[in-house]
Amino acid sequence: MNTSAEQVTRLLSLVPYLQRHPDADLAATAATFGVTSEQLVDDLNVLWYCGLPGGLPGDLIEIDMDALEGIGRIRLSNADYLARPMRFTPDEALSLLVALRAVRELTGPSDTDGVDSALAKLEAATPAADAAPGVAVAGGDEEVRAALAAAIDAGGLVEFDYTDSGLESSVPTVAPVKLLVRDGYGYLQAWSRKRKDWRTYRLDRIGAVRPVPGRRPRLGQPPRFDAGWLESRPEAATVTLRLVPQAAWITEYYPTLAVRAEDTAIEVDLLVADPAWLRSLLLRLGADVLEVNPPEAAADARQAAADALAAYRAG
Amino acid sequence: MTQQKSERIMNLAICLLMSRRFVEKAHIREVVEGYHDLTDAAFERTFERDKDELRRMGVPVETGSNDPLFPDEVGYRILRKDFELPPIEFTAAETAALGLAASVWESATQAGQTVSALAKLRAAGVDPDPSRLAALAPSVGAREPAFASVWAAYAERAPISFEYRGETRRVEPWAMTYRRGAWYLLGHDRGREAARVFKVARVDGPATRIGKPGSYRLPVDLDLAAAWRSLEPASRDETALLALRDGRANDLRTSGVPEPDAAGVPPGYRAYRVGYARPWDFAGELCARGADVLVLAPDALRETVIAQLEAVAAAAATVEGGDRP
Repeated sequence: MNTSAEQVTRLLSLVPYLQRHPDADLAATAATFGVTSEQLVDDLNVLWYCGLPGGLPGDLIEIDMDALEGIGRIRLSNADYLARPMRFTPDEALSLLVALRAVRELTGPSDTDGVDSALAKLEAATPAADAAPGVAVAGGDEEVRAALAAAIDAGGLVEFDYTDSGLESSVPTVAPVKLLVRDGYGYLQAWSRKRKDWRTYRLDRIGAVRPVPGRRPRLGQPPRFDAGWLESRPEAATVTLRLVPQAAWITEYYPTLAVRAEDTAIEVDLLVADPAWLRSLLLRLGADVLEVNPPEAAADARQAAADALAAYRAG
Repeated sequence: MTQQKSERIMNLAICLLMSRRFVEKAHIREVVEGYHDLTDAAFERTFERDKDELRRMGVPVETGSNDPLFPDEVGYRILRKDFELPPIEFTAAETAALGLAASVWESATQAGQTVSALAKLRAAGVDPDPSRLAALAPSVGAREPAFASVWAAYAERAPISFEYRGETRRVEPWAMTYRRGAWYLLGHDRGREAARVFKVARVDGPATRIGKPGSYRLPVDLDLAAAWRSLEPASRDETALLALRDGRANDLRTSGVPEPDAAGVPPGYRAYRVGYARPWDFAGELCARGADVLVLAPDALRETVIAQLEAVAAAAATVEGGDRP
């Protein structure tokens, strides 16, 4: 994408930026503006022909082209009249406010004040801020996030009460490294001491966090946890559920591979990495499930339902 | 081509910004590089397009006359106080928050808008610091197919129409919100003549503009908190008495209150009182836990859960060929 509107918008920020950052590095400046070095050189070539009306040599913005081509440094002058950037457009302001509100959903109590005051200042500089989108993440308890963030900073270990997606309880001991958000849910990425491997824990399923003695081992970068993380798990299997139409809500809550709607039923292909998760989903859906393929994928749920019914009869 | 156009628009912006008076079109044609060589008609067309482009970028191009006796002598200017970002300073804690902002959006368009806003702050002397909160990776998704068209209409306040659950809705977007991974739009529904909340994931195909940007106003007494309240989890007004298997269902245990004197608790279980909102959802949530949770009371909830468990046991057995336990 490279329209004139985008380029001129960038130029109007670039000129004050370069006057505040004399002798700026080409590659670093390009990264700051989210463009390639080639694009930034094109931008500077446009500015080379810009200046005060009249177009006499002394009216034009000056750029040291030798320094640019020779050592990749940007030296721009003779543009005092563009010393400040333009106001935010509504889209820029709203996008930045949403980003900061998302940051706020992950911070613990000690960092929340900084986010709140930054938000207040930006809202004051934004005309439409009163209708800016709110952001709500299932990020669990603020104290839990604070305890995890403290352990990350200190390079320490913690243990906590955890209920996994199959609703199994455990008390893992981990070295926490990152708090992140995917699809509106907050997660902890951590090194599991017992498994000697990376694990991801949903923040809203973490109970009390307790520091335990020990240091975080020397670790490489945790694996990327992006939109395709489930698909990349080799043990994941495809399961097809045939459901009554009223159960279509599950397609908005769980990642699906395909959805086929018919008059009296829908078929949903799910990627299942954890059999316990499928078991709890089938138990939750109950009679809304018309058919499961492959059929043996339903065996766990059937057994669990039978066990529960036996417990009711005994009680 | 793009380079020349950018030069011309940039020089036009500087020209209008440097003048305190309205600059007349003829003078603009004379002094701004890129206009002299055009025919009269081409100049008119090009100038109108450039001016509109500046306005679309958010540059406040004013139209007016310097002489009250000759109001037809139209000129243009950009007032510096309307153009420039007002002075804004941030503390270290605030720049740490700003440092994370650039990487939050999963939508490339909105990420670009955020980077552009941060570049303006940097140009104003602010230095966003991504290192201090490096352990945090917040994100906002925008995978709904209609997101881009709905967001753009909301940001520009342009009325739209879209297909929603098999019906065409005509809406003036007021506000949006992002809850637990899903985008929602609040707006005035012209057909229903009332405010409505829409889940963007259920908007079928991109929204179409049915009016100009800025062609409606937001109500002055708009109460966003009240409008979004329907999206909040319902309050837990009901209470169930549950038997929780020891060492299991820790989350229910945490939100519950122990009931040591409860009758009918099987060995290996302990009783807790747990609040809930909607009986049907809660029954599903309890079924999902199998034998780890047994409902002791109320009876209606207990019967719903048992009936659902029987359905799972029976349906699964049918599919597998009638091997009933």
